Amino acid sequence: MSTNTMNSLADASGRVGASVTTGSGLSFVGVLRSEWIKLWSLRSTVWSFALVVVVSVGMALLIALASRMDQSGVAIPPEAQVGYLVTASTVGIFFAQMIVAVLGVMSVTGEYSTGMIKSSLTAVPRRLPMLAAKGVVVFVATYLVGLGSILAAYLVASAIFAQGDIGASLAEPEMLRGLFAGPLFLALIAIFALGMGTVFRSTAGGIATVLGILLVLPIVLGLIPADWATDASPYLIGNAGPEIVASSGFSAVKEGWQNLLIVIGWVAVSSVFAALLLKRRDA
Amino acid sequence: MIQAQALSKRYGSKTAVDSIDFTVQPGKVTGLLGPNGAGKSTTMRMVVGLDRPTSGSVIVNGKPYREHKAPLREVGVLLDAKAVHTGRSAYKHLLALAATHGIPAGRVREVIELTGLQSVARKRVGGFSLGMGQRLGIAAALLGDPATLILDEPVNGLDPEGVQWVRHLMRHLASEGRTVLLSSHLMSEMALTADHIIVLGRGKVIADAPVDSIINAGGRSTTRVRSPRAAELAALLANPAVLVTDLEPDVLEVAGMSPAEIGDAAARAGIALHELSALSGSLEEAYMALTQNEVEYRTGGSNGLAAADLATSEPQEAAR
Repeated sequence: MSTNTMNSLADASGRVGASVTTGSGLSFVGVLRSEWIKLWSLRSTVWSFALVVVVSVGMALLIALASRMDQSGVAIPPEAQVGYLVTASTVGIFFAQMIVAVLGVMSVTGEYSTGMIKSSLTAVPRRLPMLAAKGVVVFVATYLVGLGSILAAYLVASAIFAQGDIGASLAEPEMLRGLFAGPLFLALIAIFALGMGTVFRSTAGGIATVLGILLVLPIVLGLIPADWATDASPYLIGNAGPEIVASSGFSAVKEGWQNLLIVIGWVAVSSVFAALLLKRRDA
Repeated sequence: MIQAQALSKRYGSKTAVDSIDFTVQPGKVTGLLGPNGAGKSTTMRMVVGLDRPTSGSVIVNGKPYREHKAPLREVGVLLDAKAVHTGRSAYKHLLALAATHGIPAGRVREVIELTGLQSVARKRVGGFSLGMGQRLGIAAALLGDPATLILDEPVNGLDPEGVQWVRHLMRHLASEGRTVLLSSHLMSEMALTADHIIVLGRGKVIADAPVDSIINAGGRSTTRVRSPRAAELAALLANPAVLVTDLEPDVLEVAGMSPAEIGDAAARAGIALHELSALSGSLEEAYMALTQNEVEYRTGGSNGLAAADLATSEPQEAAR
């Protein structure tokens, strides 16, 4: 190998400079492409997304099998059938939110822990386009994987439910909502996590904080016997998130779009902090 | 061209870089030297905007780095061989960096060949040796075919062949009219590679001059004289401004006189000379003297020139 090196230098008189064009310059489309390459060139991304699919399909399988055993020949009304399928198709993504939260945090903290961030910010010295591109790429990839997972979960659940004469068309409004809002919920959680990862710059700190806010905070608030805690509870991202996908009927904030706004608010706060700190701090 | 004006960086109460001014000229290899903690890396990081100056400014090719339309074409930088995600292959790492500027995959393959990484390009960087990581860092720096190169300790971890390769590469890049700024702890290597030296000490520029001037100013030039009548010659040369040291029975080392003056004096006295060689100081000596000055200046406030007392250190053959 050293011989190769020496040879390539021997004819270096002109070889150091590019023999091909060195491109049009820095552009947001280029940064998007860069982040897409970065995301998919890590095995952890592939594994995480594969796990999202496995968890979604696995949970659909479990729910469908368990529900089928429940019905012993009793006829199920059509609305309830839709409910069964929505639940079976989307329950997995509530577990998958932990996976995409970890993925979102690590998409940026992995750069800090390895030193890659210095290369990234040298290539994109204005910094914010890199964060924005990361956000777009993580959002789109998570959305598509979430969509595929829910579709796969629906197909598996339908196949099992069909044996008990239970079924629901994908075109049912509640089904459609689950199919498209489910991936949206996942993708927003990933972006929220990306922001927190940027704020903390450490994998452990980022994951602990995100999972704490998503999963622990709702429980803690639920345990506080005070009116303000009860009033605040629906506004937590951990409680509002699942309400986007399907209304539980228990939340004080009824509409899906209202809950979507709450989650977007959390994502916005996380993203704004991330952007301010990324811009201000030394890399 | 890199121009720093009153550039300062403070971390809390610690001043890493203390209002320095310098210019790094194109067409030359400029070496940045200094003890650990002198502010070399911080200065390099500020050039490419990774660290924000506390005050002052540094511009590259006329503008702050971040304001260039194609930063990677202006400056190629190797700050830390480990500025790479360990889980990614070398090829994908370079491809991702190239993508930001629309640099085609052909250029990625070109820099991989240039740095001799063909056989490992598809392997994950986590398993790379220090030398391989260094080559990858240099490949990344060359991606945009930049007009300015900044390399922090580029020969760190390289084998002798790799060290030589980096030296040739730096010289070649400078000969193409590019600006090359590099730091190294290897003084002999720096003496061979650099045309110009900037020495930092405690965040200040303590020297900024061509390599030859640095060596001449810091180290004291001496002359080795071999003669069968060495003792006689020593007596002849005796003078308060001249220091004569007996190295061996018939070998003298003379400081304070040029070889020509010594030769003339010997000829006038009819003393035969078997050797008359000029020994210039080494960059390492000069560097030690300079940085020692810095320490003494700080602690005792003694005169800079007086502190450059090298009488006790062995003169060496110049490295260049």
